[in-house]
Amino acid sequence: MSGSGYLELNGIASRYGATQVLKDINLSIRAGEFVALLGSSGCGKTTLLRTLAGFNAPSSGSVHIGARDITHLPPDKRGMALVFQSYALWPHMTVDENIAYGLKLKGVPRADIAAKVSAMQSLLGLQGLGGRKPQALSGGQRQRVALGRALVIDPEILLLDEPLSNLDARIRLTVRHELRALQQRLGITAIHVTHDREEAMVMADRIVILDAGRIAQQGRPEEVYNRPASPFVAAFMGAENLLKLDGFVVGDRFVLSPGAVHAAGGVPLDGRSLASGAVEARFRPEAARILATLDTATPEDGMTFRGEVLAVTYPGGHWRHVVRTGAHEILADAPRACQPGERVAVHVGADALFLFNLAEPASASSLPASRA
Amino acid sequence: MPRRLLGLLLVMPALAVIALLFILPLVMSAVGAFQLNGGWGLGNFAKAFDLYLNDILFSVGIVSLSTALIGFGAIAIGGYLTLGAHPVAVTILRWLYRWPMFIPFIVVGQILRTFLAKNGMMNNTAISLGLMTPIDAMSFLDWRGIVIAFVWKQTPFVALLVAGAMASVNREGIEAAVNLGASRLRVLVEIIVPQVTATLAVGLILSFVTMMSVLSVPLMINAQSPTMLTADIAFRVNAYGDYGVANALGLISLVLASSVAWIYLRISLKERA
Repeated sequence: MSGSGYLELNGIASRYGATQVLKDINLSIRAGEFVALLGSSGCGKTTLLRTLAGFNAPSSGSVHIGARDITHLPPDKRGMALVFQSYALWPHMTVDENIAYGLKLKGVPRADIAAKVSAMQSLLGLQGLGGRKPQALSGGQRQRVALGRALVIDPEILLLDEPLSNLDARIRLTVRHELRALQQRLGITAIHVTHDREEAMVMADRIVILDAGRIAQQGRPEEVYNRPASPFVAAFMGAENLLKLDGFVVGDRFVLSPGAVHAAGGVPLDGRSLASGAVEARFRPEAARILATLDTATPEDGMTFRGEVLAVTYPGGHWRHVVRTGAHEILADAPRACQPGERVAVHVGADALFLFNLAEPASASSLPASRA
Repeated sequence: MPRRLLGLLLVMPALAVIALLFILPLVMSAVGAFQLNGGWGLGNFAKAFDLYLNDILFSVGIVSLSTALIGFGAIAIGGYLTLGAHPVAVTILRWLYRWPMFIPFIVVGQILRTFLAKNGMMNNTAISLGLMTPIDAMSFLDWRGIVIAFVWKQTPFVALLVAGAMASVNREGIEAAVNLGASRLRVLVEIIVPQVTATLAVGLILSFVTMMSVLSVPLMINAQSPTMLTADIAFRVNAYGDYGVANALGLISLVLASSVAWIYLRISLKERA
């Protein structure tokens, strides 16, 4: 991946004292690309962003923009602007002063500052708010001021550290699209840190999933969603249902052996590097289909489990069932509600069934069939 | 017993202490300032201004200058503790700077008297280092000595308040300024100090009032004219038994201290609003 991009991270490692936070991060980002760094708390995503911004020095590795080595440059010499999670607006300055501060530091003439600040306020819909202090703004307005302050200095790269996490849910949905549209309009390279899977999916050109300081997988949103490369990525992308199965490779198929609560099944290998033996099967509740147990005409591909409905809830749009199958409990969605105690069959199609070998987790990379 | 009466009884000891030990002496001395032999009038004030106008101006000047220097010192210490890049230096400063707070004013006066005198440690050290000749040595035991003593003693107190306020300033706000290219000095002056002005003002006002009331330092360091109002009050009482003029001088001090205390009250009211 490395070597052809605009922003290049080569072998970045970082540590806090004895704790290794980032390990051998290699990432190549194209000019104008919107990349989301996605991961759970403590995975190193913010450390990686701060390393890019120049607030953390990497313990090894290098960062390049084009041919320029910026690894040890101070934050303001990197051509990057950072939007902080807390927005970090200065409470003693007005909106105008907050946005203008970066230009003032660069010694831009006062008339030019006024023009640029005004243009930025028009771009972000902040007209008429220039004289207000940050305390007198709503969360969404503060977020836009923080964005304006970063963008007005015309950075090459925009760094976003969970900038939407302090907004309430409704505004967040709107701001996601606004931010993405703005990035596309300006053609600016953006790196966005988030722990919100959906946010990363709808905003980014490419998602980089971090796990314990390493890149677990990177790719287009539909790739990481439909072809998770590891159990961690599958679980992080919502495939929380977990079952242990056995199977074996026959030609270009992986055949799943029948068990106490499930019939035989199978999936096309289609690039999966599965070996015969025990596997971990993961799938999303919405990928499961609930059938009546007497319905024997189960589809050929995928896997069908028998079980009993324990509980049913309505999270909106569909009914979510807790189904006990053998020793496990799984979640399965259906358009109509089944009653607790009802015997059902749960079918998961081959394309939504993610299989990973149990014995050798390092080589158990498994990709589902053919949808990419 | 009615609850209200019980509450009053519980509060009475505290109220009595305040009334007897604070309010009564204050009222007595305020009244005494207007008492003349056989009547009432402004004679004590006329005499106080006649004899001690220079000392009044001297006191205000010394305390104002000291307050300004304490402000700079406290900002510098708080700023270094907040922005300092050298962790060892920050730790040493954090440990060291508070010590003068625990030393009483009279001890500060004694220390600086031996340090700043013509043949004191400061000059002796400079002479032994070859920085100056004995003939150039001069005593700092005048207004400069008082200012040095006040600044030495009070800066840690204000620095403690200011450093605490600076530590609670949003770190990301500081990083946002650095990210845009602000130097450390600009971050301190343009980002941090404006966010701690209320705390700084409160610390400086409390210091101003404290310094206005210190007797030991002017007596030990500057036993000459002009001197500070506290020394004059002590002199009027001890040498002449002249409580009238002493009370008038006390009331003038109170007005000076109250004028800054009024600012303090305005700040705290604004904070609560």
